[in-house]
Amino acid sequence: MTTPTILLVEDNPDDEALTLRAFKRSNIRNEITVVRDGAEALGYLFPEDDVTPSPALILLDLNLPKIGGLEVLRRMRADDRTALIPVVVLTSSKLEEDILDSYRNGANAYVRKPVKFSDFTQAVNALGVFWLLMNEPVPNHGSEAPIEAGRS
Amino acid sequence: MVCIAADGRMILVNGEAERLFGYEREELIGQLVDILVPEESRAAHPGYWAGFLADPQHRVIGGDTPLAGRRYDASTFPAEISLTAIDTGAGILVTAAIRDLTARLRLRDLERSSQSLDSFIYSVSHDLRAPLRGLSGYSGALLEEYGDILGEEGREYAERIVAVSEQMARLIDYLMQVSRVSRTELHLQPVDVGEEAARIAAELQSGEPGRAARFTIARPVQALADRRLIRTVLENLLGNAWKFTYGRDDTSIEFGTAPGADASVCYYVRDNGAGFDPEYAGKLFQPFQRLHPARDFPGTGTGTGLATVRQIVELHGGRAWAEGAVGAGATFYFTLDGKESA
Repeated sequence: MTTPTILLVEDNPDDEALTLRAFKRSNIRNEITVVRDGAEALGYLFPEDDVTPSPALILLDLNLPKIGGLEVLRRMRADDRTALIPVVVLTSSKLEEDILDSYRNGANAYVRKPVKFSDFTQAVNALGVFWLLMNEPVPNHGSEAPIEAGRS
Repeated sequence: MVCIAADGRMILVNGEAERLFGYEREELIGQLVDILVPEESRAAHPGYWAGFLADPQHRVIGGDTPLAGRRYDASTFPAEISLTAIDTGAGILVTAAIRDLTARLRLRDLERSSQSLDSFIYSVSHDLRAPLRGLSGYSGALLEEYGDILGEEGREYAERIVAVSEQMARLIDYLMQVSRVSRTELHLQPVDVGEEAARIAAELQSGEPGRAARFTIARPVQALADRRLIRTVLENLLGNAWKFTYGRDDTSIEFGTAPGADASVCYYVRDNGAGFDPEYAGKLFQPFQRLHPARDFPGTGTGTGLATVRQIVELHGGRAWAEGAVGAGATFYFTLDGKESA
C-alpha cells in the first residue's frame, strides 16, 4: 500500500533539503515528489498518459522558474482533476498582493518560510501534521490507502 | 506671460517672461512669437498658430509631452503653455502663460528612480532571505545531528551562526519594510489617534499584567492620517516608552498633543524611563542605531523602530524629534501635516 504523496514545488535546493529534512524529523513518511519549476509541476499534475496523480498536499513556492506558482495554482483550480487538492503556498514573500493573489486563486493556506531554523522545522512539521493527519481529505479518492504518516 | 496679437506679434511681455527667455522686454515687443520657439519647430509654428486662431478655445499644451521654449542664448527648456484668447472687438488677443517644467520633470525623474530603487531593494532583500535560511538551517541541522561530536566550542560557533543569520534576517526585514512603506500610497482618513494609542497601551499592559504603570492618554485626538501607518508609529513610540521604563515601579507614559510650530498640532509620547543623552538625539532616528545596549532592556528590537517612525511621519508631510536626558525620561514628538484638528 502506498500512502498519498506530497508534491513539493521548490526551485531552491537548500529549501528543498531543509523541507525534506523537516518532514523526515516529523515522522511524516509520505512519499515526497519534488519538482523544481512551474512547468515541471504542471507536467506532473497533468501527465500525457492521463494517469493523474493526486497528491494529498501540494507545497507551492511562488517565485519559480518558467511558470510561476500563481499560474500553476490558477491552472490547477481551473481543472476538475486538481481543483480540490490542498495547496499551501510556501514562499519568502510577505507582499500583501502575493498573499491576496494566492487566496484569490484558491490557495488553502499561505505560509512564509521562516529564516530561523527551528521555526522553519516547526512550520513544516505543523503543516504536515495538520494537512496529513488532522485535516479530513477531500472524499472521492476511495481507492487510496489511509494516510499512514504519524509518530511511531 | 506673453500677450500676442492675431498676427503672431508680441505686444505685451511681463518680467517673468523676460527672465524665462533671457530677453529684454523691448527686444520682444513687436517680434513674432516664433522667436521663442526652437529653430527646428519654427517652420511648423505659424500653422499651429493659425490652427489655434481658427478655434480659439482655452487650452493647455505641453502638459503631457512638454513643448520646448527657446531662450535668447539658443538654449531650450521644457515648457507648458496655457493659451487664452480674448476678443477685444478690434481683433483677437492671445495671452500665453508659459511655465518652465524643468523642476517638475526633474522631480518626476527623481521619484521614478527612487521608486525603482525601492523595488530593487525589495527584490534584493527578498532574494537575500533564501541563502540565510540555508545558513541558519544547515547550522541548526549540524547542531542537531552532529552536536555531540562538535564539542562545546564547536556547538557555540554553530549557535552563533544561527543567531547572526537571524539578526541579518531582521535587518533584511527592515529593509523590505522601508522600501514597502515608501512605495505605500497613503490612505488618509480621519483617525482618532488617542483611541489607537489607548488600544496599544492596553495591549502593552496586558502583555505584562504584573507591571505597575500609569498611562495617560488624551482622547479624542482627531487627525487625518493613514490608520495602519499611524498605528505603526504609535506602536513604536509607546513600545519604546514601555521598554525603557522597564524596572521602574512608577512607570508613567503619556500620549497627548501640544501646539506645534510648523503644524497646527504636534503629538507626543512621554515617559519617565531611562531617557537618552541629548548629544546623540540626532542618531535616534537613524536605522540600526541604538543608544542602550540590547541586554539592558528586554525585548529590544533591531534599532529600526524610530527610523520607521520618522519615515512614516515624513510620508505624512510631518517630522519627528525627541527631547530627553539620561535618567530623566524622554519625549518623542511628531507632526503630520497642517491639517490636524485637536
